[in-house]
Amino acid sequence: MYQAIRQPLPISLSLVSLATAAAIGLPLLLVCFMALTADPSVWSRLWNTRIPELLWNTGTLALGVSLGTFLLGVSLARLVTRYEFPGRTVWEWALVLPLAMPTYVLAYVYTYLLGTGGPVESIWRWVAGPEAQVFSPHSFAGATLVMTLDTFPFVYLLTRAALLNFNVSYEEVARACGASRADVWLRVTLPLLRPAIVAGLSLVILYVVSDFGAVSLLRYQTFTYAVYQQVTGRYDQTAGSVLSLLLVLFALIFLLAERWFRQRSRFYQTTGRYRVPARKTGGAFGSLLITGYLGLVLGASFGLPVVLLVQWTVSAAAEGTVDPRFVGFIWNSILLSGLAASAAVLLGTPLAYLASRWPSKLTILCLQAAYAGYVLPGPVGALALLVLFSHLAPFWYGTILVLIFAYIIHFLPAGLQTMEPALQQVTPNLEEAARSLGLTTLGTLRRVTLPLVRGGFVAAWVLIFLQCMKELPATLLLRPVGFDTLAVRVWLEASEEYFQLAAPAALLIVIMTLPALLLLVSKDWRAA
Amino acid sequence: MAFRSVWSVFFLALLILWTTPVREAGSAGERLVVYSGRAERLIKPVLDSFQAKTGIQVDLLSSGTTELVNRLQAEGERTPADLLITNDAGSLERTRELGLLLPLGIKTVEQAIPPPFRAPDNSWVGLSGRFWVLVYNTTLIKPNEVTSILDLAEPRWKGKIAIPNAGSEYLQAGISVIKAVYGDDRTQQYLKGLKANAGTDVFGKSSQIVDAIAKGQVAMGLVNHYYLYRYLADHPGAPIALLMLDQQEGGMGAIMNVAGVGIIKHSRHLDAAKRLVEFLAAQEGQKLFADLNKEYPLRPDVLADPSLPKRGTFRVATVPLAKLGELREPTMALIEQAGLR
Repeated sequence: MYQAIRQPLPISLSLVSLATAAAIGLPLLLVCFMALTADPSVWSRLWNTRIPELLWNTGTLALGVSLGTFLLGVSLARLVTRYEFPGRTVWEWALVLPLAMPTYVLAYVYTYLLGTGGPVESIWRWVAGPEAQVFSPHSFAGATLVMTLDTFPFVYLLTRAALLNFNVSYEEVARACGASRADVWLRVTLPLLRPAIVAGLSLVILYVVSDFGAVSLLRYQTFTYAVYQQVTGRYDQTAGSVLSLLLVLFALIFLLAERWFRQRSRFYQTTGRYRVPARKTGGAFGSLLITGYLGLVLGASFGLPVVLLVQWTVSAAAEGTVDPRFVGFIWNSILLSGLAASAAVLLGTPLAYLASRWPSKLTILCLQAAYAGYVLPGPVGALALLVLFSHLAPFWYGTILVLIFAYIIHFLPAGLQTMEPALQQVTPNLEEAARSLGLTTLGTLRRVTLPLVRGGFVAAWVLIFLQCMKELPATLLLRPVGFDTLAVRVWLEASEEYFQLAAPAALLIVIMTLPALLLLVSKDWRAA
Repeated sequence: MAFRSVWSVFFLALLILWTTPVREAGSAGERLVVYSGRAERLIKPVLDSFQAKTGIQVDLLSSGTTELVNRLQAEGERTPADLLITNDAGSLERTRELGLLLPLGIKTVEQAIPPPFRAPDNSWVGLSGRFWVLVYNTTLIKPNEVTSILDLAEPRWKGKIAIPNAGSEYLQAGISVIKAVYGDDRTQQYLKGLKANAGTDVFGKSSQIVDAIAKGQVAMGLVNHYYLYRYLADHPGAPIALLMLDQQEGGMGAIMNVAGVGIIKHSRHLDAAKRLVEFLAAQEGQKLFADLNKEYPLRPDVLADPSLPKRGTFRVATVPLAKLGELREPTMALIEQAGLR
C-alpha cells in the first residue's frame, strides 16, 4: 500500500486544510454553544409555545412528502424500466427535470395555480359547482404537494438504478413457485429495492427539513422558516439558536439514517448470472395510459410551471423588469456563485487530497468537519455567521465575503463528493513516479495530479456554482444591503404575489440549472 | 539609487496620506448612504427629488428594519451609513438607545414637526403618520360588529382574523400600545385569544393580508391603513374597507406609529445628511414622502391625501411614540410567551 512509503505530510497543505476545517466547523459549534448556554427560561418558553408545533409541522411534512415521493418515484421507475412504450428513453431522462426547479419557484407557481380565483379553482368550480373549494396552497396539503413534485426524482433515480441492476432471476423463481405478479412485486421486488428507496427517501427528507424557499412562500411553519423569522425579526438571537440546534439534530438524524442504509445496501448486491428483465408492452391502450400518467406528473412538476413562467415573462406586466438593474442582479448572482465555487474547489482540494493520500485521524477529521455544512440548513448557517462575524470580525459584516463563506460551508460537501472519487481514481503510482523523478509534493500535485482530476474538479465547480445560483435563505440574510441576486428577486417579488415580475428571474434560474442537471444525472446526482 | 528610491517611496506615501483626507473632504456632501427599512419604491422618488435639487447623490440600501439596526450595531463606527429611515418609531428609539444616532439640533425641523413625533433629544424625527387599523371584507363583516381592537380576541372571531407574524414591527408597536394602556395581564390574555382566532392566518407581509381579505379567504385583518389604499389602487372596487378601532367614548383611540429618520452618529457627511433631513421635513418633502404611500404628513401645515379619513375626526391613542422603544423588549417577551409565530 501507498502508506508504506511514508512521506512527510506537506505542511502548507495541512495548514490550509486545518484552517478550512476549523472555519467550517466553527459556525456549527457556535450554534450548539449558543443554544446550550441559553437561559433555561428561553428553552422552556419555546418548548411551551413554538417547539411542539414546529416538530409536528416539520415531521408531518417530511412524512407526507416521503409518502408522496415514494408512490411517484417507485411507480415511475417501474414504468420506465419494466414497460416498453413509445418515447420511453426520452421520458426516462425527462423525469429528472423537476430537480432544475428550485422549491421557491415551484411554490410560487402553485400559490398562483391553487390560490383563490386561480385556474385550479375555476376549473374545479366549473366541474363541481360554484361553491366548491380547492385546498389552499398555504397549508400542509399545499406544502406537501409542492415538495413532493420537486423531490420525487431523488426516489425515482435511485429506484430506477436499482431496478436496472436488478437480477431478474429472483422474480422468475418466485413466479415459478406460483406467486402472482402482484405477490412477486410486493414480496420479492420491493423488499429488494428497499435500500435504494430508503436512501432516496432520506435524501428527500433531508431536503424537506432544510428547505426554506417553499415553506416561506407557502407560510408553512417549519424549523427553517421559524429560524429565519427569528433572525430577521429579533435583536436577540438566542431563541433562534435554540431552534437551530433542534433543526440541526433533525437533519443529523436523517443524514445518519441515509448513511446507515447506504452501507446496508451492500448486502443486496446481486450475484450470479445477471440478465436484463424483459420489458412488457402494454399495447396501444396501455402505452396511452402510461404516457398519460408520466405526462401528468411531469406536466405538474415541470411542464406547466415552465409554460407559466414563459407566459409571465413575455406578458405586459413583466415589461420593464428586464432593465439594467436586472442585468445587475444576473451579474451579482454570477459574481457571487463564481467566487464561491472557485474558493470552495480551492479549499476542498487540500482536504480531499490529504485525506486520500495521507489518511490519518487528523486529515480524515478535517474532511469530516468540512461535511458539517450538510446539517447546517441555510438559515442556521446564516445565523451562526451573523453572530460570528458581528463579534469576531465586525469589519467584514455585511460584505459579500460573509456570503461567500456561507456558500462554501453549505456547498463544499456537494463539491467534495465529486472531488473525492476523482482523486481516488488517480493511482498514487503516478505521483510516486513524479516524486522519484525529483518533483516536490506540491509540484506533483500541481503538475501530475491536478491535470488528471481536472474533469472531476470542473464538475464540482459547476455543481457548486449552480447550487449558489439557486441558494435563497443565506443570501437573503447575509447579502450586503441592496445587493440582490436572481434568487432573492424571485422570492421578494413572489412573496408580494407579483407573479409576473418574478418570472424572468425564475425562468433564468431554471434555464441555467439545466446543464448542471445533465451533469448530475450523468455523474453524481446525489449532490443535488 | 537605493537611497533615492526609498525616499521617493516615502514622499509618495506622504503625498497619498496628505491627499486622501482632502479628497474625502472634497467628496463630503456629494454622496449619502441611506439605510432604509421603508420599501424602495416608497422612498426612492423622494430621494431622487432631493438629488435633483441639491446635486447630492443618495445611495439607497433597503432591507428589513430590524436587520438594519442589527447591522448598524455590528458595523459600529465603520458603518457606511449616514442616515436611517424606518417605518417604526420603536426601531428608531431602539437605535437611539444603542447610541447609534446623533441628536439633530436643526431649528427648522424642530419648528416643522411637533414634539410628540420626535425623540425627546431629537435623535430622530417622525416624517409621516400611519395607523394600525382593521381592514375587513365588506361582504363578510359589518362595520358595527367590531368596535375595539380587544374584541378581536373574542372566540366568535375564530378563523376570521388575519395578523402579521411576531417579527412585524407594526404588530410589536401595536401590542406595545395595548400593553401601555391595559397592562400586562390583559395584553397576555388578548394575545392568547388573538393567536387562537388567527390560527394559520399569520402572514409575513401586510399586502398578503389585504389580498386574502379581498379574496374572502379571511374576513378581516390588522394592517396599516395605507395597505387598503394600495390594494384598491390596483383592484378598484374590491370589497374591502377600513375601520378605525377604539373610537367609542373613553376608548383608547387608534394606534399610531410614525415613519421617521435619524442621522447615524458615525456619519462622515453630516452637512449633507442634515440637508436631507431638512428637505424631508420641509413642505415639499413632507407632501412627497407622505403621499407616495397615502400616509399622514406630520407637519400641521401640510394636508394629507383627500381620500384618507380627515385628521382630527378620529381619536388617537395617547401613548408617546418614544415609549415604543422602551416597551419593545417587554412586549416581545409577552408576544413570545403567548406563542405568536
